[in-house]
Amino acid sequence: MSNREIFVENLVKQYAGGVTAVNDVSFQVNSGEIFGFLGPNGAGKSTTIKILTTLALPTEGQATVGGYDVVHQADQVRRIAGVALQDIGLDPLMKSLELLAMQAQLFGATRQQAKARAQELIELVRLTEAVDRRVGTYSGGMRRRLDLALALVHKPDILFLDEPTTGLDPASRRDVWQEVRRLNKELGMTIFLTTQYLEEADELAERIAIIDDGKIAKEGSPAQLKAAVGKESINLAFDNRAMAEQARSQLSDMAENIQTDRDMVRLYMSQAAQTIPAVVTRLQAANLNPISLTLTQPTLDDVFLQVTGQRLSTEDEKEKVAVG
Amino acid sequence: MTTQVSVQNTSSVRSAKQPKASLPLQIWLVTWRNLVTIFRTPVALFPPLAISIFFLVIYESTLGGAAAFIPNLSGNSYLGFILPLSIVSSSLSGAGIAAQNMVRDIESGYFDKLLLTPISRAALLLGPILAGALILGIQASIVVGVALIMGLESATGFAGLLLVVGLAILLGTGFAGFTVSAALGSGSAAATQGASFIFFPLTFLTASFVPLELLDGWLKTAAKLNPITYVLEAMRATLNTGWDNTLIWQGVLACLLLGGAMFALAIYALRVRTRRS
Repeated sequence: MSNREIFVENLVKQYAGGVTAVNDVSFQVNSGEIFGFLGPNGAGKSTTIKILTTLALPTEGQATVGGYDVVHQADQVRRIAGVALQDIGLDPLMKSLELLAMQAQLFGATRQQAKARAQELIELVRLTEAVDRRVGTYSGGMRRRLDLALALVHKPDILFLDEPTTGLDPASRRDVWQEVRRLNKELGMTIFLTTQYLEEADELAERIAIIDDGKIAKEGSPAQLKAAVGKESINLAFDNRAMAEQARSQLSDMAENIQTDRDMVRLYMSQAAQTIPAVVTRLQAANLNPISLTLTQPTLDDVFLQVTGQRLSTEDEKEKVAVG
Repeated sequence: MTTQVSVQNTSSVRSAKQPKASLPLQIWLVTWRNLVTIFRTPVALFPPLAISIFFLVIYESTLGGAAAFIPNLSGNSYLGFILPLSIVSSSLSGAGIAAQNMVRDIESGYFDKLLLTPISRAALLLGPILAGALILGIQASIVVGVALIMGLESATGFAGLLLVVGLAILLGTGFAGFTVSAALGSGSAAATQGASFIFFPLTFLTASFVPLELLDGWLKTAAKLNPITYVLEAMRATLNTGWDNTLIWQGVLACLLLGGAMFALAIYALRVRTRRS
């Protein structure tokens, strides 16, 4: 199997006027991994992806994509990398099969191979019923799916997705997520994903880097990042307030902090999941049966808040999706 | 905490070649796509053609009768004299087709999408220009066809008509280098359309309605410097008096010089637009 890794070392990008968009960034994306690149607007996400996909040059530092140097081997990088940029560039007068087949031929496929590949991709992104329509008549979700198909034409080793679900309705977002997972799992494709949706990074990425003000502020798996930021909680609901108070006194030594709110008890601790059996045993011994037991983990939003000082709440995300 | 990695130590730089389309195939693919989009918006093709035919009919109707009184023209058909002007103006305005296609791709982002493929710059430039050239040829042939219906008799027969259409294609293709430069430089449809209007002075600061010898003063100087003059002279001689190798070569040379300069400009504009920074 070919090299499907991305290495970035001390990458710096300064624009004319002295603005530093990327400031000494280093990270590594392993072969076959889905890597989430999170950050607020203007943090340096798009600049990094532009450098890695050969659309921009770094001021300093080095980067290789699939073993090819992004500065000196741009042509080779383009042949092994698929790219779906945030701004979807599609010719509205063409039809999807035409665009796909032409792109396949540019990548060296014969006419027949290109036709077959185009058909295969159309089925993959479920646009079969729209093949006779011009792309200009497609909805936002359909255009994104076609753009994804175009990025896959040459069976890339590494796929770059720049905010792939921005502006999509929740159903289309889930479709894209499913597709990204499938590509990663079945084809072993390395996927570099930028997003401003925490939920998306949490759903898809095995590892995440948070970029803020041009620098990598945090890196790790979603679970590691969340674990580092704060305590989990076990939440117990009882029939009434008295039972909740009883439970609180029974469990007081098991948590770092306990709060009761009417018939709810919340136990804050690290490694809450592992403590659940002991909590249940203790409650059963005291003949207290909760009507519900839930586990709350810190969200990536909490991580994001701690790292960037900004919150990208789920409500905001929903609004953005609806407006977009 | 960030992971410090070394590009040199952890990854051997690859050098294997992978297949891509040959340059002629790339050029053909981009040309084909441009033709498809042109024929999907046929309405854009009519204005330059309609204007050329309109001018041909109006000039012939209003000035055709006076042709006998114009020195150096007596005995010759005014239709054969004015048709080249109509064809040249159709060529120059039709040269905008390539630029319109280019700017549409830039505005839609499809141009950048193509840059992410291993496509050569030559194909990006030549695709729209060759598609435009084919359309120019069709337009010029239609204008010649209308002139034939109006009674045009070519002094050099069918071969002369082919030469006239060929010169029109050569001129329009060269001029497309200019309009495409405007598209690449500005990335805006409005600016590209604005730049295309240079065809006005080019078509009228020349021996538009009377032979060059009858012009005087600054207009004559301007006409002598204007490459269009030599294209018109070559076409007119071919249609009205017969084969004149000197005039024909002057016309071809004028097209090539104009085209060469405009293509150099287009290549520069393309380099600037596709340069990574």
